[in-house]
Amino acid sequence: MSVADFRFSPGEILAPAVDWLNANLHGLFVLISQVVEAVLGVVERALLAPHPYLLIAIVFVAAFFFATKRVAVFAALMLAFCLFSGLWTASMQTIALVSVAVLISVAIAFPLGVLAARIKRVDETFAPILNIMQTVPPWVYLIPAVILFSLGRVPAIIATIVYGIPPMLRLTTLAFKQLPKDLLELGQASGASPRDILFKIELPTAAPTLLVGLNQCILMSLAMVVLAGLVGAGGLGAEVTRGLSRMEMGLGLRAGLAIVAIALLLDRLSRGALQRHAPNKMV
Amino acid sequence: MNTPDFSSQFDEAIDAGLSWLSDHGEVLFDAANAVLSGVYKGVLWCLALPPYYVLALIIALIGWRAIGARFAVIAGLALVFCALIGLWPETVSTLALVLTATLLALVVAIPLGVVAGLAPAFDRVVDPCLDLVQTMPPYIYLLPAIALLGYGPATALLATFIVALPPALRLTSLGIRMTPRHFIELGEASGVTGLQMFFKIRLPFAMPSIMAGVNQSLMMAFGMVVIAGIVGSGGLGESIYGAVRTLDIAKSINAAIAIVILTMILDRLAQSAARSRMGESQ
Repeated sequence: MSVADFRFSPGEILAPAVDWLNANLHGLFVLISQVVEAVLGVVERALLAPHPYLLIAIVFVAAFFFATKRVAVFAALMLAFCLFSGLWTASMQTIALVSVAVLISVAIAFPLGVLAARIKRVDETFAPILNIMQTVPPWVYLIPAVILFSLGRVPAIIATIVYGIPPMLRLTTLAFKQLPKDLLELGQASGASPRDILFKIELPTAAPTLLVGLNQCILMSLAMVVLAGLVGAGGLGAEVTRGLSRMEMGLGLRAGLAIVAIALLLDRLSRGALQRHAPNKMV
Repeated sequence: MNTPDFSSQFDEAIDAGLSWLSDHGEVLFDAANAVLSGVYKGVLWCLALPPYYVLALIIALIGWRAIGARFAVIAGLALVFCALIGLWPETVSTLALVLTATLLALVVAIPLGVVAGLAPAFDRVVDPCLDLVQTMPPYIYLLPAIALLGYGPATALLATFIVALPPALRLTSLGIRMTPRHFIELGEASGVTGLQMFFKIRLPFAMPSIMAGVNQSLMMAFGMVVIAGIVGSGGLGESIYGAVRTLDIAKSINAAIAIVILTMILDRLAQSAARSRMGESQ
């Protein structure tokens, strides 16, 4: 018995289906691509429009007010590193990709997470799917996206959105499940409307866990965006890929260090916000 | 834009430094390359020796012992499926890469984790380094590896090793530190030697945590090995990379299916190993 006799390829069976999708739903994919490109373009222009020094100053002031002094100094240093390593444009492209992807991930994951926390059946359905999604290596996410949207920024951002959903969804569910019962009962007893309970009791109490989820979502999205440089997403990932493929180690290392700077920047900013929120925790 | 630009000086310095390193440290890097690819080739040879159905049967048997009959049947059939879609050699070399890298990482991580668990001073030095390693996107570990070792499986192994190190080290040190206080006191009171204290009291309590670390390291290594296809590691990562670049839909779907199958099997096996350890110690 040799393998060759039985060889078959599910890919070849699926490929015509994909072709059919591409031929018949072309308009839909083009529409999605255009919307994503438009949003990304706006964010990117907004980041690149002010002079780099001005943007660093804005980030510094914002971090100073929303997080702590140390975080602000740190953030400014990291951005300055991106500027002085000559990769400002690529860094801003990466930040634009990450922020748009994270926004959409959160917009999808948050309501689903709340739903899963409320309804047990939904939670049970999600759990195995999330398990699989979190074990599969990130590369695999790029494949369907590239098949449907070809190369470029659009498949990158779609793969990143899908990749960023599980951590946020998990921690949202956790945050809302962990709410102390007595607080909710207090709200009900004092006759608060469900809306008031959600915004005045549940959200503030759940905020620390939610921010942990956001932090994870951001870091995973960054990893994915960098990887997506391989499918033509642009940004720092593309610079790393260029460094790797042309053996220009200086460029590759510079881009790698800039990625580290951005990872640390995003991590500290979201953690800084978390620390700011921690003392607000009641109980 | 008239911002100061240090990039060209930086690039030149790096290039000069690298050529100096590869001139003067050639023996060292050649040796590292030889050791890494030697170990990899040994593991690959062992795995590729039996025909596909024998290896599938062996993994199914392990699955049967560890998890249950249903998992064994599914895992065996899924592996045969990998062979039927014509990706068996790639699947085996991916498996060999993951196992080699995880093994090397564990050999380094577990002793270091034990030291970190016993000596808080060492832990305070290691902890921020691990934080940094885990914050960076795994992709960039390929850069230093490729600069020093060139194109091939040794590079993939080195990068995977770096990625797989932190979880095992962290969870080993955590497990060692979590030994219940009264058991240590009990040991001290009954006058055990340092070695007995370690092997009979601390290690058994740390075992569940260490096994959880092994599981996490294995999964991190898997993710990295697939990425490392870019630097010519061979295996499924490289087939996917090639297929995506040439937009060969059929081939990329096949490779993705094989990767998902392999991930699921490894994850379930490692998880059950961690769980059975936990049951033993309780």
